[in-house]
Amino acid sequence: MSEAKLEPVAVLKGVTKSYQMDAVEVPVLKGIDLLIRPGHFTVLLGPSGSGKTTLLNLLGCIDRPDQGQVVVAGCEIDQLDEAQRADFRAANIGFIFQSFNLIPVLTAFENIEYPLVLAGMEPDRRRRRVERLLDAVGLADRADNRPGQLSGGQRQRVAIARALARKPKLVIADEPTASLDSQTGLAILALMRRMQERYKISFLFSSHDRTVIKAADDLITLRDGQILSIRRKAAPVVEAAEPEADPDFVDTQADQ
Amino acid sequence: MNTWMLAARNLLRNRRRSVATLLALAIGAASILLFGGFRAYIEYSMLTGYVRAGGHLQVQHRDFFLYGNGNPTAYGIADHPGLMQAILDDPVMKSMVTVVTPMLVFGGIAGNYDAGVSRTVFGTGLVPEDITRMRAWDEFLVRNPSPPFALDGASDDAAIVGLGVARVLLLCADLGVRNCPQPQAVSQTSQAASLPPDIAELAGSLGDVKTQRDTRRGAKIELLAGQSRGTPNVAALRVMTAEDQGFKELDEVAVLVKFSQAKQLIFGKSPAKATALMVQLDQTQHVEPAIERLTVLLARFSPKQPLAVMDFKALNPFYVQTIDLFNMIFGFIFVLIGGIVLFTVSNTMNTAVVERTVEIGTLRAIGLRQSGIRRLFITEGFLIGCIGATTGCVVAVVLSSAINLAGLTWRPPGSSELLPLMLRVWGENAMMTGTTLGLILIGTLSAWWPARRASDLNIVDALRHA
Repeated sequence: MSEAKLEPVAVLKGVTKSYQMDAVEVPVLKGIDLLIRPGHFTVLLGPSGSGKTTLLNLLGCIDRPDQGQVVVAGCEIDQLDEAQRADFRAANIGFIFQSFNLIPVLTAFENIEYPLVLAGMEPDRRRRRVERLLDAVGLADRADNRPGQLSGGQRQRVAIARALARKPKLVIADEPTASLDSQTGLAILALMRRMQERYKISFLFSSHDRTVIKAADDLITLRDGQILSIRRKAAPVVEAAEPEADPDFVDTQADQ
Repeated sequence: MNTWMLAARNLLRNRRRSVATLLALAIGAASILLFGGFRAYIEYSMLTGYVRAGGHLQVQHRDFFLYGNGNPTAYGIADHPGLMQAILDDPVMKSMVTVVTPMLVFGGIAGNYDAGVSRTVFGTGLVPEDITRMRAWDEFLVRNPSPPFALDGASDDAAIVGLGVARVLLLCADLGVRNCPQPQAVSQTSQAASLPPDIAELAGSLGDVKTQRDTRRGAKIELLAGQSRGTPNVAALRVMTAEDQGFKELDEVAVLVKFSQAKQLIFGKSPAKATALMVQLDQTQHVEPAIERLTVLLARFSPKQPLAVMDFKALNPFYVQTIDLFNMIFGFIFVLIGGIVLFTVSNTMNTAVVERTVEIGTLRAIGLRQSGIRRLFITEGFLIGCIGATTGCVVAVVLSSAINLAGLTWRPPGSSELLPLMLRVWGENAMMTGTTLGLILIGTLSAWWPARRASDLNIVDALRHA
């Protein structure tokens, strides 16, 4: 099967979102149409206030659009109630946060295990999976350490393992390397790339980090709540909204 | 990893705050239980006192309680020995009864003619040996032994008076009663009047009171009472001691004599009646079954006379009122401390919600439902309640034991006697369980509102929280 025929992991159609700032309504996303390809590294690029995080929140099912349709993993998530959305997130979406957001009272092992506990997985199977993930992120010897006993890079590795624990369809990472030094950031990026290749999971980032941008398969540029360009690696140029100079990317038409 | 473990670890996260909250709860629980222990001891002390003095139950003429004091012979129990024997022989009652004994109450005038004073009194005739046995009853181990019953082993004319009677009849010096000042007016006017010959003759055995010196222990009084046929009768009595009757009103009028003496005084040679049969049981919990059984037994005697059974609560309304008062104060203290606990735990949980806002957002993002967040915080409140209330129980038991061992005393209202100050916490299972469960419930409820607030947090806002 060719890549073009694969089911997209996420689709946004005519999505708008605005926030109320005191008495003023501030539009953040203005009619976004977007398709996220499965099994790819997709990066959202744009200046502060362009709507990257809001877009990630909508795709992560932790926020609702004012208008439009959000479909993730084939499910129209606007139709779900709160409990269903929680279950949907647990099963289909992994989160990696800029500040790691590990549960401080849990060990590295337990942080990774927690989504599996929510899934009701039996203890033995849970333990095996967590041990494999810890091994994969290079923290097998740190399983019993709490987040406070780990470095920033190690915490983010735990966060990555936690995001992957339930083998989600989509991992959403909001500035995952922003709190790390460049060396650690590179290592984390390499790790995520390895994980993505190993587990065939779609990664969606927001980032300003050039190394992240370079690693991207698809690069989506946002400005003022609208998609400025979408460039997909190794794909023919269909329409160039605003070409960028990076030779690793070829512009494509914005997904409709 | 489950909600319980996560909740427990969250409590340990900010130890100082958790300890402060737990201390507040533990001190609250201990305070409630210590007061409850005091209340329990008061209840047991009073109950023991009333049961020792009047038994758990009394069989009386149906109308005696309301009308009998004025005319005991009209409301007496005929054939009371037969009824007593029937109670003692009954296979059901036999297993529960420790003492069945008659009493005869009557009104009269007691006089100390040597001092020229007299006063109206309320006389009671008792069987001393039975009263001695009744005074040994101590189901609740109140460690407050009643003094030996002075009439036991004494001569037939022996009597006990209330402290007030001793004071008014100027018997304190003869009886060695302390704190019994003699009024100046009386001491000046006391003429050591002789007993009039007619009264002396009526009293019978005294002989020539002007010349005869009675060298026996105690003080001499004459007791005038109306006989069953309306004629007056007088008994010359030897007061052995003055006893505190618990209430000033009773102290001012009480005269206790032997049942045989009272019988002779009121009924003379006529067939005697008792105004009540006192029934003391081995355990207070047998009151209800004993009433049921006695009601059946009394039916056999009732065709001749309408009899009724009254328990110690009906006979001593002050006991019920006092216990009700203490219960009300206990309830008030519980509500007060419960309110403080509610706000303390609630404040702690609200602070935890604010501190852990990002964490709540994270948990929600990775798939924990709103109900899961609520469960987590409510579990924390429950654990605070459990640990705090249990600690409070332990503190209360230890403190109450220490106070009990310290041998402190106190003087209850209306009493001239110092009683041991004891707190009955250990063994009061209903109180301890009720208080513990109540505080656990309050701890859990305290967390309900913060838990709801946490679960209602918008995930995006929570993750953005600084």
